[in-house]
Order: sequence, then C-alpha cells, then structure tokens
Amino acid sequence: MTPMKWFWGFLRKYRFYILGGLILTTFISAMAVINPYISGRIVDDVIQGGQHALLPRLVTALLAVTAIRGVCRFFYQFIFETCSQGVLYDMRDAVYKKLLHEDFAFYNRKKTGDLMSRQTGDMEAVRHFVALLIYTVYENALQFGFALFMIFTVDTRLALCMLAVLPFTALNTLIQSRAVRPKFRTIRERFSSLNAFVQENISGNRVVKAFAKEDFELEKFNKENDAYRDAQLASSRVWMKHLPIFELLSHALNVILMLYGGWLVIQGDITLGNLVTVNGYLWMLNGPMRMVGWWVNDIHNFITSVEKIYATYTEEPGIKMPPAPVEHKRMEGNVEFQNVSYTADGEEIVKDISFVANKGQTIGILGTTGAGKSTVMNLLCRFVDATQGQVLIDGVNVKDLNLYELRDNIGMAMQDIFLFSDTIEGNIAYGRPDCSFEAIHEAAVMADANHFIKELPDGYDTIVGERGVGLSGGQKQRISLARALLKKPAILILDDTTSAVDMETESYIQTQLKKLGGQCTTFVIAYRISSIKDADLILVMDEGKIIERGTHQELLAQNGYYASSFYHQYGETPEGVASLREQAKKEDANWKEAV
Amino acid sequence: MARNKYDVDEILEDKFDLNQLKRLLGYLYPYRKRFASVAVMMLTSSAGLMLIPLFFKEIMDTCIPAKDMRGIVFYSGLTLLAAFYSAVSLRYKIKHMNLIGQQIIHDLRYDIFSHLQELPFSYYDDRPHGKIQVRVVNYVNSLSDLLSNGILNTITDLCNLIFILLFMFLTDVKLTLVCLCGLPVLAAVVIFIKRRQRKAWQIQSNKQSNLNAYIAESINGIRVTQSFVRENKNSDIFNDLSQSYRKSWMKAVSFNFIMGPSVDIISAITTAAVYVLGIRWMLLPDATLTVGTLVAFTAYISRFWAPINTLAAFYNSLLTAISYLERIFETIDEPVKVKDAPGAVQMPPIHGDVSFEHVTFSYETGLPILHDVSFHAKQGETFAIVGPTGAGKTTLVNLLSRFYNVDSGKILVDGIDISDVTIRSLRTQMGVMMQDSFIFSGTIMDNIRYGNFTATDEEVIRAAKTVCAHDFIMEMEDGYYTQVNERGSRLSQGQRQLISFARALLADPAILILDEATSSIDTETEIVLQKGLNELLKGRTSFIIAHRLSTIRGADCIMYVDHGGIVERGSHEELMAQKGEYYHLYMSQYAFL
Repeated sequence: MTPMKWFWGFLRKYRFYILGGLILTTFISAMAVINPYISGRIVDDVIQGGQHALLPRLVTALLAVTAIRGVCRFFYQFIFETCSQGVLYDMRDAVYKKLLHEDFAFYNRKKTGDLMSRQTGDMEAVRHFVALLIYTVYENALQFGFALFMIFTVDTRLALCMLAVLPFTALNTLIQSRAVRPKFRTIRERFSSLNAFVQENISGNRVVKAFAKEDFELEKFNKENDAYRDAQLASSRVWMKHLPIFELLSHALNVILMLYGGWLVIQGDITLGNLVTVNGYLWMLNGPMRMVGWWVNDIHNFITSVEKIYATYTEEPGIKMPPAPVEHKRMEGNVEFQNVSYTADGEEIVKDISFVANKGQTIGILGTTGAGKSTVMNLLCRFVDATQGQVLIDGVNVKDLNLYELRDNIGMAMQDIFLFSDTIEGNIAYGRPDCSFEAIHEAAVMADANHFIKELPDGYDTIVGERGVGLSGGQKQRISLARALLKKPAILILDDTTSAVDMETESYIQTQLKKLGGQCTTFVIAYRISSIKDADLILVMDEGKIIERGTHQELLAQNGYYASSFYHQYGETPEGVASLREQAKKEDANWKEAV
Repeated sequence: MARNKYDVDEILEDKFDLNQLKRLLGYLYPYRKRFASVAVMMLTSSAGLMLIPLFFKEIMDTCIPAKDMRGIVFYSGLTLLAAFYSAVSLRYKIKHMNLIGQQIIHDLRYDIFSHLQELPFSYYDDRPHGKIQVRVVNYVNSLSDLLSNGILNTITDLCNLIFILLFMFLTDVKLTLVCLCGLPVLAAVVIFIKRRQRKAWQIQSNKQSNLNAYIAESINGIRVTQSFVRENKNSDIFNDLSQSYRKSWMKAVSFNFIMGPSVDIISAITTAAVYVLGIRWMLLPDATLTVGTLVAFTAYISRFWAPINTLAAFYNSLLTAISYLERIFETIDEPVKVKDAPGAVQMPPIHGDVSFEHVTFSYETGLPILHDVSFHAKQGETFAIVGPTGAGKTTLVNLLSRFYNVDSGKILVDGIDISDVTIRSLRTQMGVMMQDSFIFSGTIMDNIRYGNFTATDEEVIRAAKTVCAHDFIMEMEDGYYTQVNERGSRLSQGQRQLISFARALLADPAILILDEATSSIDTETEIVLQKGLNELLKGRTSFIIAHRLSTIRGADCIMYVDHGGIVERGSHEELMAQKGEYYHLYMSQYAFL
C-alpha cells in the first residue's frame, strides 16, 4: 500500500458526496457563463437596441441565476468541507488507535511533539486538499476546457496556437514539482522538530527554572524558530522562480491572440467579431494557468503530509495480540518465570530469571539501581517480550494470552507516576471508568489517600495537573496505588510505590493489602526493607540476575547484600536493631494509649 | 482560577477585536518600508495589466482596419512588457511578503515563547500542556496566510476599489450612488452574523485546543493507558473531542460560506437596480444620461464588486485569525508574578548563610501552607527537613529558590533579601534536585551538562562518578553519548535520579537542595554516593528532604515540619532525646519491622 492509496481509502467513503459536489460545481461553472450573457443582452438589446419590454424578464433572470448560484455555492463548499472533516475525523481516529497500540520500543524512539505534529499540522494539509483543492482544480480545469472548446469552434488554428503555450506550462509544472518537493519535506520536518522542542520545554519547565536556563532555552528555541522560518523561505525561493513564469505564460496568450489573431483578421481568415469572441474567453484560460504554481505547492504539501502520517501509521508494534489467544478472562494469579532473559539495544537487561509465585503470595524485589526490576514486571505485563525463556500465568505463556485480558488482570502502580489532568476521582477510576463512587472511596481508603483527598478544597473533584503537578510525591503515589487497587486485579504490582510516604502510612497500607487475603498475587519492588520484609519470597537483583532469594529471616541469616542493606538502612548492628525494635514496640503501645 | 483539563473550554472575555489587529499591525511596523515597496510594485503592475484591454481595443479599432501589422506588433510588445513587469513584481512580492510574513510569525512566536519562560510553575500546572503548546506552534502558524498575502491583497484591493469608484463618479454620480446603496446592506449582513461568527470561531479554537491537549496527554500517559487497558475508552473520548472539533469547525466555516453568496446576491440586486433606473433615467425627457455612458457604467459595476468579494474573504480569514490571535496575546499578557524587583541587583557570590524570618506563604489566599516560619542555617551546614507528606516541605525549599514570592516575612541569603536580587543571579548559584527528575531528549552528556554548559567532558564525567552514575552510563551502547528521551523510559527511575543529581552537582552551587533526591536509589549506591557527597558538601549549605531517615542522620539540624510550621528542630541526638514527633517517626521504622 502506498500512502496515497491509504488516503484514497479514507476518501472513498465520501465518494458520492464528492461526486455530488463536483456535479454542483459543474452546474455552477455552467451558470457562470449565463450572467455575462444576460448582461450582454441587456446592454445590446435593451440599452442600445431599445427593446425595453425585455428588461423585466432579463433582470429577473439575472437575479434568479445569482440567487441559485449563491445557494449552490454555499452547498458545494459545505459538501467539500463536510468531506474533508469526515476524512480528517476518520484519519485521526485511525492514527490515534494505532498510537494506542504501539509498544514501548516505539515510544522510546519517538518524541511526543513529533507524534503530535502528525495529528495537527499534517492533518491541516489534508484538510486543505479535500476541502478546497479538489473542487478548485476541477472548476478551473472545467473552465479551461470549456474556453478552449469554444475557441476551437471559432478557429482551429487560433486554438492550436493557444495550445502551444501548454507544453511550457507542463514543463514548468514538472520542474517546480521536483524542486519544491524536498523543500516541503524539510518544512514538515522542521515543523515537527519545533513542535517537539516546545513540547519538551513546557514539560520540563521546572528544571528550566530551577537551573535558570531560560536564556539557553531561548537560544535553542531561536535555532528551531529560525530553522522553521528558513525552511519556509527556502521553499518560497523555489516557487518564486516558477510562479512568475506561469504568470508570464498566461499573459502570453494575450500576445498570441493579438499577433496571430490580428494577422488572421487582416488576412481575412476570421472576422473581427471572431476575435472579440475569443478575447471574451481568454480570461477563462488566463486564470487557471496563473494558478497552477500555487496548486503545485498545495499538492506537494498535501502529499508530504500524507506520507508523514502514513509512515507513523504503518509502524507495526513488536508486541501484538496472538493470532489465536487462549481465553482466560479471570486469572488466578499463579506466576512463573522460566529462565527468562531480555536483551534490548545489545544490552542484556534481564538474565536467566526463574521463580514461582503462587496465587495470593507477596513477592518482594529489592536490588541495585538499574538492576532490571521494573523490566521483570514489564515482561509480566508484556510491555516487552522475553528474548529467551517464558513467562507463565496460571501455566499459560503470556504471549499466548489475550493481551488486553492479561493486562486487565494486572494492577500496576508504576514508578514513574503519571496522573492525568482530570479530577482525582477520574484518576482513581482510570481503569474502571464506570465504577461507583463507593468503590473509588474504598480504594482510596486502602491506599490511605482518602484523608488527604478530603482535605483538598474540592475533595475528590479536585483537578490535578498533568503528571500530577500540585501534589506531593507521596500523595501521587497513593493515588496511583488506589488506581491500581480499584481494578481488584489478580496480580498487583507496586513498583516503588511507597518510597515517598512515611513509615506509618506505609505500614497502614501494608495492613490494608493484607486484607486482600489470598485473592491477589502482589509484587512489591522497593528500596526500603520495610516495604518488603513480610513478603513470602524476596528476590534480590543485581545486574539483571537474581543474586539472593528467600524470606526476610533467611536473607538476614545469609548475611549477603540484603542483610547489609538492612543494617545500613537502620543504621545499627543486628543487636542494636533488635533492641530498638523492642523499645519501639513498647513505646508505640504507650503512645497509642496516651493518644 | 480552577485548573483546566482537556474537556473544559478556556473562558475568554470578549474584548474589542480591532485591538488585537492593531497589535498585529505593530508587528508589521518594522517592515513597513519593505511592505510599502511591495505595495507600490503590486499597484503599478496591476495598473499595467489594466492597460492590456486598452491595447487590444487599440488593435481592433485602429490597427486591424488599417491593416497595420507593425502597429499590432507594437501593441503586442507593450502587452508583453506589461506581462513581464507583472511577472517581475510577482516575484518581488513573493520574495518580500514571504519574508515579512514568516518574520512576523517568527517574532510573534519568539514573544510568546520568551514570555512563557518567565511564567511561574502555576501557569504550567493550571492547564494541560497541550493547550499551551497549541498556542506557540499551531495558532501562530495559522496566521501565516493572513500575513503573507491577506494584508497586502487587501491594500491592493482597496486601491482598486477607490480607483474604480473614482471612474464611476466621473461617469455618473447618480448611478454610482445607486451602486453604493448595496454597501449598507452588506454591512448589515456582516453585523448580523459577526457576533455569531466570532463566537463560533472562538469555540472552534477552544475545541482545537482541547483536542490537542488530549493528544499530548495520551502520548505521555500511554504506559498507564496500556496497563489499565483503557484503549477503547480513550478512543471514545478522543472521538468525542474530535467530533466536537468537527462540529465546531463546520459551524464556524458555514458562517464564512454565507459571506461569498451574500456579496454576489447584493451585487446582482444593485446591478439590476442600475439597469432598471439607468434605463428609466435615460428615457426621461430631459435626460443627461446617454446610452454610451450607461454601457460604460455597466462595465464598471462588475469591477466594483470583484474587490469587495475578495475583501469579504479577507474579513472571514481575519475573524478566524482573531480567535487565534486573542489566545496568543492572552498568553503574552499573562502577568509575571515572580519577577525581578525594579533596581534588583546581582546576587554577589553566595557564601551560604540562609535565614527565614517569619515567612508566611499560601498558594491560595486564606489557605496558608506555611505560617510564620523562621530558621537560620549557617554556611556549610546541612539541614534536613522531615514531616508527613503534604506538610509543605517542598514549598519551603521552593521559596528559597524564589519560585514563589512569600506573603510576608523575609528570606535572607548572606543577609540579603532574595527579593532584592535578580532571580537569575540567585538561581544560578543554587542547585536544585526535584522530586520529578526530568530528562531532556538528547545525549546523557547533554543532560548532565544542563547544569553548567561551560563544563568540560571530564567535569561531567567526574560529576557522574560522584553520584555513582558512571558505571551504568558506560554500560550503555554509546556511553555518555547514548540518546535518551523525555519519557526517558530507557532509564530506570533511579538512573534518572542519578543523572539529575549529577546535573545539580555540576552547577557547582553554593546552596544545594535535594528534594527526595535518592528515593529510588538503592541503599548500597546511596552509601557510596553519600561518601562522595560529603566531600562535595564541604562549605556548601544544603537542604535535604528525605523519607529514608538513614539519609539524614548526620545532618547539622533536622527540622520536623507539620501544620504549616517547624514543630521540632535540632540534631538527631537532640531530637531523639526530646522524644517528640521526630523520635516517634524514627522509632516507627523499627516498630513496623
């Protein structure tokens, strides 16, 4: 499929509209000849010829024709605009759907602003083409053809002479097309690049301000802004060479008529009246010829935009739904990793991981920064696919499961929390938009988010900014936890979800999670020992491998990485920690009594 | 103002339109000479083209009857000359008007972008980012046609109109007046639809903005969407937004479509009136109107209405443009609340003595976040800030960087009130590492160097080594030159924190602020990092917000912040001895073991 065929696929749906619009256009073009004719009759017959009785009829005809033309004109413009908006709507929908199903690898490569350009600036060129260009070119071609035909009826030689201009016009069109094409490509690219830069500057505004780098950003912006302007000017430098040629060629018709037509009259081959008639049609040839250059621009702008949109559209995600997925709507939550490895960009991120998590168990994962902990979870959700080994849920390879059912059974609170600019209620209900407020409230209570939400001026209706700006780190984490809990998933993943909350809140959340009982297999990735110490199984990861595994007590006894992290975090020797714990428990009891 | 989201239109007061236009013309002002030269060129060339029919008439009336082929050649030559001149002036026009148009767009975009750099966090926090972006990029671009062709064409059209009116008046005053009767009718039509048309375009620009905001958010939040299997729902929302965009467009554009036929019909009516009245006056017994005059006059009528038709089209595009322009100017006019005081001086090199004196601050009046906060940190001291989430810890350090102005009280650095110095000179001497680590698209090297552009590669690497980022960076395929992007998904959260940590260190700040800088970093790395950091922190004042208490035990002073104030302060030992909030917090980590 070529980009253009893809585009025609969208236009085809509106082919009857377009056909209807073109018929109306034809009708109107034909009527365009009537008014000058009526005016001519009024001047010739009524004013000069004195047939005054004709006047009322002619004037009525004049008004009627104009009125009908006006109404038709409104409608055909409306029809083409409807088509263009329809095509755009369908195209946007198709591209958006495609974007929704692209995988991580795709999003890692693309800049947000680039992708946005496909949906905004590039679509605009398509709109222009369907809404205006199709009928303008058609109307002008019709006019041109009609005028040429009329001239042929007057005198073949004269008409052929007029046609002599056409090869030059064609040649000029061809040269301009070739030259202008790459320029439009550059414009689209610079537009994307500018868009991407502005987008990033807006997203990163906090960093820009914190480092007082406004000047630097402006400097960089100037480069982008200049580059876009220069691309526009470079293209205009190309067509400013060609458009004047079209202009000249169109007026050349007048010169041909004067010279050759004049000569023919002098020779007596045609009459003076013939010459006047041909001259009357000349504007119908002039106009279209002058416009060709502009159309060439618009068409190339359109083509390059469609190509860009199509290129984004055709990128196939590496992770796809299996052709015949195993139906498994409600999962149990038994997870098994069998010798799983994952390699990306030549870097082995996860190496030969094996473990079993049974339904209802809690698995803690601790490890060094960049050890591949999050990747293990991404393998489970099939955000990435294992390069070796297999990941099984309830004994079925995740690659064989229905992708959406798989993800629907997993509740994930991600490390890099993204909240949408929506109400808090809308954010918590993100996975279950139709759920009741009670369910939302319940999830918020479990995540210990309810009390701070209630204290906000608008409570659950408070709108949070994009990415959750305006909320503290701990608040964002709790909303994202509530969001994951609301799904009542078979598998719950908490990726560093409590790093920014205090111990007490964390402990409260853990108690709440325990209430889920054996319904939910939970994975907890954390740096804080306190987050994972009660897990049924703790995996310690380093450089993509599992280096230690066991329960809290077993790992402490092993005296390895886990044990040393533990004592570093609590700043004490094993004995010190034990005695502090006793003391704390005692005091905690007293404290509670006092309060 | 309440925070805006993707499906909420932004309200705008209906100001007088012409002011927007006047402002836009202000952007044209620097190019007025060039603009005038193009206008002169275009007028002369269209005058030249008007001569062509005269030449043709000459050929028919004199040359052909006289069989004067040389005369024909002469007039053809003149026609060719006029055509050539028109081609040359077209080239001149394209060259200069594109330059002017693109330059104005460039200038306008610069103004809006540079103003955005000065706007505070709250501006960005209060609306979806896609809505800001659409103004800088798409709205500004949509003015391109208006600027490169519209204004100039209007001027030439107006000149043509005046020219023809002059001819008409010279030919016959009464008939001209009849013809002009059409104009008030046209004006009535324009006034009748103007309000609705303008409203429709305002709505349209809002819908466009909403759609754009949703696209931007969808792309940025794609991981969440996919993991929550929200694809279908989002697709529905998107289609709803897309649909209201389509509807608003169709409605707005329909008003534009009314304009052309209206002009046509009004022109037809006046033309009919001229014919009817003209003939009647011609037939009056004491008629001064001759057949020749009437015929000549009818030829002018169509020429009179042609420029009005294009002016009407220009009016349409103007109304469209104004709905974008007002948004652009609205952003440019957004007041900058945190800015350099008049006569602000450069902050001299900071030693690092920081004091808060009775500082009170609220984001919204009546809801104070901090109330009467005072403390004093001497040069080189490390201050830790702890407390429950949402207690105002981040706000406290944000005030020190002057991201917000205090409501009352003073913040002094080395005894100088920070509101008396330039923001730039203050912030460049402070290193802030925020909760959200933002990674720009580019190489890792570029990202670290963002802290200090004059740093050499060696210095960047040294900073990376200090924060223990060197090893993982070297493991990536291109080392420091590995490309990362904004969503930074190639890097783990901890790695991103390390990179922004290195960025803050590279700035060589006198005051360092670490806001949850190590929350996603493992303990082993943190210990190594702390050792390096201790070296670095010597002589620098630092403020550390952390939840992992092991990170802050060694701080010179720990402040426990809650209920908008400092509840406890002192060293770890002192606070432990106090057995208050901090003690409770510290012990709770053991209690929950």
